[in-house]
Amino acid sequence: MEWALTEEQEMLKTMARDFMEKECTRSHVRAMMEDEVGYSPELWKKMAELGWLGLIFPEQFGGQAMTFRDLTILCEEMGRSLLPSPFISTVILCGLPILFAGSEQQKKEYLSKIAEGKATFALAVLEEDGDFWPGGIKMRAEQRGNEYILNGTKMFVWDAKAADYFLLAARTRSSRDPEDGITLFIVDAKEWGVYVSPLNNIDMLRKQSDVVFTNVPVPAENIVGEVHKGWEPLKRMSLYATAALCAEMVGCGEKVLDMTVTYAKERVAYGVVIGSFQAIKHKCADMLSGLEYARSLMEWACLALSEDSPEAPLAVSMAKAYCGDVCKKVCDEGVQIHGGIGFSWEHDMHLYFKRVRTNDTAFGSSTFHRELVAQMLE
Amino acid sequence: MVTDTAKLEAFRKEVRAWLRANLPKGWGTPEYKAPDPFSKEAHELGKWWQKKLYEAGYTGFGYPPEYGGIVRPPEEIAIIREELARHGTPPGPQSLGLLVAAPALLAHGQEWQKKRFIPKILSGEESWAEYFSEPNAGSDIANIQTTAVKDGDEWVINGQKIWTSMWEFADFGLIACKSDPNAPRHRNLTCFIVDCHSPGLTKLPLRQMTGNAEFGEEYFDNVRVPDKNRVGEVNQGWAVVLTALMSERSGGGAFWGGGAAAIAGAFTRLAAVRAVVDLAKETRRFGKVVWDDPVFRQKIAQMAIEAEAMRCSGQRMVARMRKGWRPTNEASIVKNFQAEMRVRNGDIIMEIIGAYSQLNRDSKRALNNGDWVYQMLRARGATIEMGTSEVNRNIIAERILGLPR
Ligand SMILES: Cc1cc2nc3c(=O)[nH]c(=O)nc-3n(C[C@H](O)[C@H](O)[C@H](O)COP(=O)(O)OP(=O)(O)OC[C@H]3O[C@@H](n4cnc5c(N)ncnc54)[C@H](O)[C@@H]3O)c2cc1C
Repeated sequence: MEWALTEEQEMLKTMARDFMEKECTRSHVRAMMEDEVGYSPELWKKMAELGWLGLIFPEQFGGQAMTFRDLTILCEEMGRSLLPSPFISTVILCGLPILFAGSEQQKKEYLSKIAEGKATFALAVLEEDGDFWPGGIKMRAEQRGNEYILNGTKMFVWDAKAADYFLLAARTRSSRDPEDGITLFIVDAKEWGVYVSPLNNIDMLRKQSDVVFTNVPVPAENIVGEVHKGWEPLKRMSLYATAALCAEMVGCGEKVLDMTVTYAKERVAYGVVIGSFQAIKHKCADMLSGLEYARSLMEWACLALSEDSPEAPLAVSMAKAYCGDVCKKVCDEGVQIHGGIGFSWEHDMHLYFKRVRTNDTAFGSSTFHRELVAQMLE
Repeated sequence: MVTDTAKLEAFRKEVRAWLRANLPKGWGTPEYKAPDPFSKEAHELGKWWQKKLYEAGYTGFGYPPEYGGIVRPPEEIAIIREELARHGTPPGPQSLGLLVAAPALLAHGQEWQKKRFIPKILSGEESWAEYFSEPNAGSDIANIQTTAVKDGDEWVINGQKIWTSMWEFADFGLIACKSDPNAPRHRNLTCFIVDCHSPGLTKLPLRQMTGNAEFGEEYFDNVRVPDKNRVGEVNQGWAVVLTALMSERSGGGAFWGGGAAAIAGAFTRLAAVRAVVDLAKETRRFGKVVWDDPVFRQKIAQMAIEAEAMRCSGQRMVARMRKGWRPTNEASIVKNFQAEMRVRNGDIIMEIIGAYSQLNRDSKRALNNGDWVYQMLRARGATIEMGTSEVNRNIIAERILGLPR
């Protein structure tokens, strides 16, 4: 495992940071918060031109064939800048299952479209209980000839308003094994009977919605992977998604620390800068130390996935448990050290706070992943 | 890369074979009877083992060959430390030579001192103590009051040192003294190598809350030290003190060993976590198997996560050092994380063993020879020695993050 960034990775990181500083200004972020769809198609096009949207796809599907660790370097920077875009939804949550289980035809069509910036995707899996697990999937897809008919509501769908397609998981047969009988479909978002209803979630830069499907027909050729066997590619994808969310959280946490230390050096109270108070110093020291270890576990998880290492599931759960706890704490302290302005809508602190909360919850929180770690210790 | 990996795996096998052939008879089996910690026998066993390691080229890294150093690629060093940690080996001699004296001498010592002292530190033949702290100078170490007065080409030392680890069998001490009563702080100290058998030097044991006299105190009554034993320039001892402190915080030389030491330490801790999982499976509290309790499972999983975090951070450090980066104040991050982890881990085990957490090492009913209880108690010293947790937080905030002093 190579733990130091290669020269190319350093370049990618610098390029990403420069790009986001230039393109993802604070006023852009604020505008996207209020925007119903929540991302800029022009920016998306530029990301496609940089090769980011197909970064990890094979070359024959328009991709760059780079590693997953490379991709997560982008995720770190996206966390830092809070870049509003359906990147994780499109490339990771939906792109990867298509890559893992899709037919050659599907990969050629959809992955190439993603890489070219011509298609955005949203993952429609969660339902009422809000958890990513096979038992939560109750919505049915009834076969009718060469079609399947979808009826039901998917909830907590990220970037649904931005999506051209949904990757949707529905039950195609009842089975005692909850993992069995789940099938993955690519559903055109413009299909008659698809209705997106925003949820007004706290993270306004990663908008979530209900998506209601009423008698929506999907041709059988839009099934990804085998019928009834759709959980497997989703489960595999969830490891990558979890690691990518850790990378984003660490990016958020490091930015929060930077902002907080800068503020502590400027803000004056009782005639001195607040950074000279030991209570503030020690909080900042703990933020830095926590992030060192969060980053270390996150990098391990990303490297293990890049190398297809058998330790990947352990590394991912350890990273998720640790990054979630640390980054939530870092954001708490960031708000606290900023005082009143840190609690204000106008300041960006709450945007980082909310992004970290979103990521901490997604694919299971710290406590859930610690239990997975316990199971793997047995 | 492929051949590299293959070569490294072959090297790992070689280290394992060497360990099997050279560890003490019965090592790792119930028949093996370890000497009492802090006893003369334990010290002698440690010396014997370090000499063996040194002769095999498995220790002594980070020093140039002219001072007895062993040169190897960082990947091999990491493997050696991993394998040593994985097998569990006898603890080294009771000495702060590797942790404190050798790094300080390498950075600040005169040529003859480096040639004379460093090789015997690396081989474990000579043991060292660190004579810095005093009753009124601990965190505020610049406030040292022990005096050194020049008399011809000798210096005369008077004063008291305290909390000295590894005091009993030390051959030499690195001492910091006030050499100029009028100069300002940080420009009034000078460091020396003092022979621990010098006339006028009295050593006394001090018991810790563990019950052991792991540290001691020393009285210096007109102890004479030749000027050639001076380390660094006159009144420039503060730089020597800082090097020593930074090196001990990183676990053996911030400038070369920090990452590898963290990796090795993590392997020891991971082995400990596996033992705790077994313990939790075998133990019932109030009739219920501990490992079936979700709260305990969370806590034990967290122990494993923190141990891996420590390993991964070490890997990152080694990788960056290979590219020329040198850690300095980062040692404070490493030191605090490890010390505070020891506190947390110790407490979790106490909860698992319930009433048995009250038994000392020599109790007839003590579990695991009382070592878990001992480690829980000893961890309380870890957050004080080598700079308290608070002092290290100050260093992180001021010297890494640049917050005002
Ligand atoms: C097990 C053990 C082994 C040791 N081995 C050695 C050794 O081999 N050689 C040696 O020279 N010394 C040794 N020491 C001494 C050790 O370095 C000191 O105990 C330590 O530096 C603290 O100093 P002190 O005891 O004087 O406590 P004090 O400095 O009086 O500290 C008391 C409390 O005040 C806090 N405090 C002090 N200053 C600040 C500040 N600026 N900001 C915030 N809080 C502060 C401390 O964190 C602590 O909680 C050892 C100590 C222990 C426990």
